[in-house]
Amino acid sequence: MFISYSIANPLTRVRIPRRLPRPGQVLVHSGEHVEPARVVAQTVEPADFRIIDVARELSVPVKKIKPYLKVNRGDTVAEGDVLASRGGFGGQVCRAPIAGSIVGSGRGRLLLEAAPQPVHLTALVPGLVAEVLPDAGVVIEAIGAFMQMGWGNGKEAFGVLRVVVRAPRHPIRPKHIDASSHGAILVGGSRLDDETLEQAIEMQVRGIIVGGIPPSMIPQLEAVDFPIVTTEGVSTAPMSQAFFDLLRSLDGREAAISGRLQQRWGIERPYVFVPMPAQSGAPINPESPLVVGSRVRVLRGPYTGASGVVSDIPTSMIQLETGARLPGVQVDFGGKEFALIPFMNLERLL
Amino acid sequence: MVDERTIESILIADCGTVFTKLLLLEKVEDSYRFVAQAETLTTMNPPWSDLGVGVLQAIEQLETITGRTLYASGRLVTPQQGLEGVDAFVVTLSASEPLSLVIAGLVREMSLESARRAATGTYTDIKAILSREGSLNSPQETWSRTIRDISPDVVLLVGGVDGGARRPVMELADAIALAASMLEQHQRPTVLYAGNVELRPHITKLMGDITRVEVVDNVHPTADTEHLGPAQNALEQYYIEERMKTAPGADTLMAWSRLPLLPTAAAFSRVVDYLCRREEHPGRGVLGVDAGAATTTVAATFDGRSYITVYEKGIAYGPLTWIKERDVAALLRWMPEEMEEEELLTLLYNRELRPWTVPQDPRELWVEQAVVREMLRSALAVALPTWDVGKTDAPSGMMPHVDPILISGGGLVHMPRPGQALLIALDGLQPTGISTILLDVNRAAPALGAVAGLKPLAAASALEAGTLTSLGTVISPVGKARPGEWVLRMKIAYEDGGTLNVEAHYGDIEIWPLLPGQRAKLHLRPNRRIDVGFGPGRDGHVQAIGGLVGLVVDARGRPLTLPDDPDRRRRTLHGWIWDVGG
Repeated sequence: MFISYSIANPLTRVRIPRRLPRPGQVLVHSGEHVEPARVVAQTVEPADFRIIDVARELSVPVKKIKPYLKVNRGDTVAEGDVLASRGGFGGQVCRAPIAGSIVGSGRGRLLLEAAPQPVHLTALVPGLVAEVLPDAGVVIEAIGAFMQMGWGNGKEAFGVLRVVVRAPRHPIRPKHIDASSHGAILVGGSRLDDETLEQAIEMQVRGIIVGGIPPSMIPQLEAVDFPIVTTEGVSTAPMSQAFFDLLRSLDGREAAISGRLQQRWGIERPYVFVPMPAQSGAPINPESPLVVGSRVRVLRGPYTGASGVVSDIPTSMIQLETGARLPGVQVDFGGKEFALIPFMNLERLL
Repeated sequence: MVDERTIESILIADCGTVFTKLLLLEKVEDSYRFVAQAETLTTMNPPWSDLGVGVLQAIEQLETITGRTLYASGRLVTPQQGLEGVDAFVVTLSASEPLSLVIAGLVREMSLESARRAATGTYTDIKAILSREGSLNSPQETWSRTIRDISPDVVLLVGGVDGGARRPVMELADAIALAASMLEQHQRPTVLYAGNVELRPHITKLMGDITRVEVVDNVHPTADTEHLGPAQNALEQYYIEERMKTAPGADTLMAWSRLPLLPTAAAFSRVVDYLCRREEHPGRGVLGVDAGAATTTVAATFDGRSYITVYEKGIAYGPLTWIKERDVAALLRWMPEEMEEEELLTLLYNRELRPWTVPQDPRELWVEQAVVREMLRSALAVALPTWDVGKTDAPSGMMPHVDPILISGGGLVHMPRPGQALLIALDGLQPTGISTILLDVNRAAPALGAVAGLKPLAAASALEAGTLTSLGTVISPVGKARPGEWVLRMKIAYEDGGTLNVEAHYGDIEIWPLLPGQRAKLHLRPNRRIDVGFGPGRDGHVQAIGGLVGLVVDARGRPLTLPDDPDRRRRTLHGWIWDVGG
């Protein structure tokens, strides 16, 4: 069967899709070089609107409302502008509750739509526009270190990586975050807690990369305005050694970090990308088979998050503690520690 | 094209949300036999974005297992040539995104409830329910905003019995039309109108120029009747057209297949229908449940009428939302050992992030089992009100008598021991009376349901040839007794002449030997307050068929209740797990 995979590669050529949340306009051309802050596409959020029952407000029959209207379809109005009025003693006035345009009228009512809010999509990663997705966004081809993450809070940023712990099992603490963390993407070890998050918000960090987070913190983490990603999903396990080593080797470099997570239908995984000046990098081959010597990471059970290499692929089934018998491999975690792991609970590290 | 009569081999692909399963059936003499199966990850989503990639991967596995070439020169080898290729290829699909749906109507307990039931007949995601109820003024602005912001695939508009309410339905229609007009042409929802028949021309006139309008029979034509079929069929057809046929790679699979793509739930339902026709138990229906990763399907047949409910939560995608709607304690209560909420939630989050993974230690397994139990219970709670069980015996407020019960889907089939699958099914479904439990061990049932459209004989003979594995016959007495009091005395007369006189006690699960394929005649004599299907205190004879677990009496009572005291509850759960073989 297919063995799932995560990319944790120091130098590769990747194609990173950048998609608008809804159809819009692409602002760059195929083959164009873009920098992280460059706006590559834009769209608008659906605007606020009001249905104003002018006939009722003026107490006028629907069929007779036309002479009282002060605006026409297509007119722009400010908040408080008169939309319709009925003069005379005890006359009444109908005013615009919001600023906007009159986009529809009929049956004694006006449809007033506010000005739409523009949404800009930046490149996030420096590279070449490899493909334009009409009305939807672009695909950017870039060369550098690429790491796929397990969980993310939906936010994105570009900044300098700073590794603040010495080992993947060490959690990031408030003491690791000081004024020098301002604008930096911090790399912690095992997990994040409330106190550390508060300190990070106060010091205005640009992002956080940790091994895992407790499930109870998810609502808080989704509410902060900078990206937070984890290598091991929602977990208390330490950061995988393979990821930590790679991140440590990139300490001080600029990185793009995306916490966008879409688990179904058009899957998106959070990632960290560190651009490199190299001119070439081999693209990842997700079809590469699992063989003895393949780098793998465990996704479930007592070894969750542990990375190692495949040391044997038994032909017979392996027996799990649950009693289930499944095909699997023996993984060497280093330090003479081995375990049998079913294929389904493994992923290849590419 | 191969003539139907000459089909010697059939390859079936079932593309689920997480896994793609392939089955190979071959004709041996006059019947079809299951030859081999393969399973791989479904590849509809990135990075592959092509269903065909996973199907080809599974075909390669089948080629390795069987030594037979199935795919060559960039295409499926069909028809069969000697020992190469296959004569037919059939596809079922549940991997596609469900239809996003907004329901708009008048009264929650009437038309809106009927509309909701109609929507659960296929893969839908109900994003919002708009109701006029409880509001004197028409909240048209809110309705329009909701529809515009959601931009659903379909708005199902219901309301008014035939000849009944007009104005409130038209107000809803007005709001829908306004919302549609604010969306780009390609984003506008299809409006499926299933309300007051007299308003059809007005609805079409109002919205026909703005968006696509389809009119079907009223889901609630009179105050006390419900008519779901046409709305269900329209939604299913829309799902097939807009979701299945447009799935990445579906065009390749359709080119190989002789039959149109079929939703997995519909295919599964066909097998349940077949079992009903085969068994012909008077006074009993047939039930099938498919515990999938993203949905839980309940299919039932009573008196020749079929019902499908696709509950929009499964064992991987669903528990976290389910907890938000209910309570985490409802899952924790099934843990036979103490477990903190944090541990449970961590497991559920990661299960959703990596839905293909399997429990590796007992604690993870217990969480998985708890989820399956509660998904079955919730799915059944949605399905039960849609059933008209007719002459089927049905204890008040409980599961009607169903026999057999077919259990399928990764949530049940992947259990390490057959007793665990049986126990979960009993806890989740709480059957009453006498039922044989069939495990769809190769997860072939939906696939065979699809084959039935091409070659009914093939589907029937593959089912008869042991594709479904019996876990055993279960007797579930209904009635109250004191803990430990006898509820059923039973004489088991085996085919070889041996007999066994046994007694079951209230609160226990009792299992007696009855091997797969072995039959026995049972004389059941319940306690005077207990009903095993013949009426309270009435005795009777039945034939029982054995299975991997045996002959089971589930004397724990209906409805099944768990002790409130945590320690006692955990001891009880441990006892039940022990009873069914660990």
